[in-house]
Amino acid sequence: MWEVRSAEILLVEDNPADVGLTREALYDARVANRLTVVGDGMEAMEYLRREGRYAKATVPDLILLDLNLPKKDGRSVLADVKADETLKRIPVVVLTTSAADEDVFHAYGLHANCYICKPVDFGTFVRIINSLESFWLSVVRLPPKTPPV
Amino acid sequence: MQAVESLRNADQNLSRLLEAAPDAMVVVDQAGKILLINAQTERLFGYRREELLGREIEALVPERFRAGHHAHRDGFARESHPRPMGAGLDLCGLHEDGHEFPVEISLSPLKTGSEVQIFSVIRDISAHKITEEQLARQARELAQSNTELEQFAYVASHDLQEPLRVISSYTQLLARRYKGQLDPKADEFIAFIVDGTMRMQRLIQDLLQYARIDKKEKTFSSMESQAALNQALAGLRSAIAAGQATVTSDPLPAVHGDELQLSQLFQNLIGNAIKYRGPDSPRIHVSALRDGSEWVFTVADNGIGIDPQFNEQIFEIFQRLHGMGEYEGTGIGLALCRKIVERHRGRIWVESEPGKGARFRFTLPAGAKQAQVEETASARRES
Repeated sequence: MWEVRSAEILLVEDNPADVGLTREALYDARVANRLTVVGDGMEAMEYLRREGRYAKATVPDLILLDLNLPKKDGRSVLADVKADETLKRIPVVVLTTSAADEDVFHAYGLHANCYICKPVDFGTFVRIINSLESFWLSVVRLPPKTPPV
Repeated sequence: MQAVESLRNADQNLSRLLEAAPDAMVVVDQAGKILLINAQTERLFGYRREELLGREIEALVPERFRAGHHAHRDGFARESHPRPMGAGLDLCGLHEDGHEFPVEISLSPLKTGSEVQIFSVIRDISAHKITEEQLARQARELAQSNTELEQFAYVASHDLQEPLRVISSYTQLLARRYKGQLDPKADEFIAFIVDGTMRMQRLIQDLLQYARIDKKEKTFSSMESQAALNQALAGLRSAIAAGQATVTSDPLPAVHGDELQLSQLFQNLIGNAIKYRGPDSPRIHVSALRDGSEWVFTVADNGIGIDPQFNEQIFEIFQRLHGMGEYEGTGIGLALCRKIVERHRGRIWVESEPGKGARFRFTLPAGAKQAQVEETASARRES
């Protein structure tokens, strides 16, 4: 049986304007979700490892990760997540303004699940969010949250 | 008697010539003893003539070169023919006061009976060296400042995109959510902001592209210019369809260049030809003619043409001949074309008259396989 529940998305983004845009785009794309936002890389790792004030956090179904973040940057978050036995199966979507070849190359090298450049056009952004939702939260089969026995 | 007189005159002339020479001249015997010097030698090395005559030539050579100089001198005496000394080496003279200066020296053997003397001409090249160093320094500084400028343009345009994306996204969001809910003025204002941000975005992207032309490593190789044209036409597909334009071309040759940059070049020129169309539907023809080691390409159109007084100006960055409302554009396209062509060591120019279309011409260095293309081209002419 399919379990019907809203998706749990973690957005790691320090720029409030971008957080707002993602929220609005999710709204416009009618994605049923719970969006949690953390503003830097260290907070992201605390959230994912359920440390301190995040002890009761839910493990997300999808991580939207900016690359340029304060304290601990997105590349380092990506490396830590993909090296972590319990976190590495969570799809990480790199969502950044950088179109630099070295960033794209490096991100996939760290096992990013996909890499998206933020578009200038809001309509395009809504379409991207929409396709992210339909692909990652309905087309693909995600791993179970606990290891199968 | 007269013969002796004229011989003496000739001798005097010769010695005057020696004394007036701008270079130091020194004659030494096989043992390296100085036999003769001229006035310039005194000035250059700071000795009086009598202090040098009879001394070993090594007195004029810095300490650290003396042993080597000895050996070379013996070698030259054995197998002597006129030649510059120490080709490719930096030679130094030693002044009486101990300071060194850069010199150029040429050596000639002087055969007098059984003895071989060595005649050397020594030129002070300090001024030369200083100029050389200055030039090298200036070249380094220029390269540095160019690199910084390119980096600046790249970083500036990349970082400018960031706030622009926020402005344009939120304005579009505003338009999406509130269109028709505010008064008509507000809708109009929003439309202006959206339009302005989109123009700025295009401008920044064009600038980025312009800055990248130099940033990119030179990756020139022999390539088919036809491939670059095809790539450009693929990029222009919708513009060609919308403008109902016809683009034709002769068989195009192999050139030495960068395919991506050349496709940008074709795309800009053909894109312009479509944009600045005349009353008839645009007809654009691309051709190439061999001229020595180069190919001269022509992109000819039947558009509105250009007043020849603007022939130069149009290739300057940000130069536009038309108001914003008439034709879209950032004024970077042709500047980009020129930069691409000049990076390929070519030239670009336009031949046109208002109302009579334009022919943009540019040269590119020929690549390999040109003979084959020439054959096909001439075969076509014959058929």
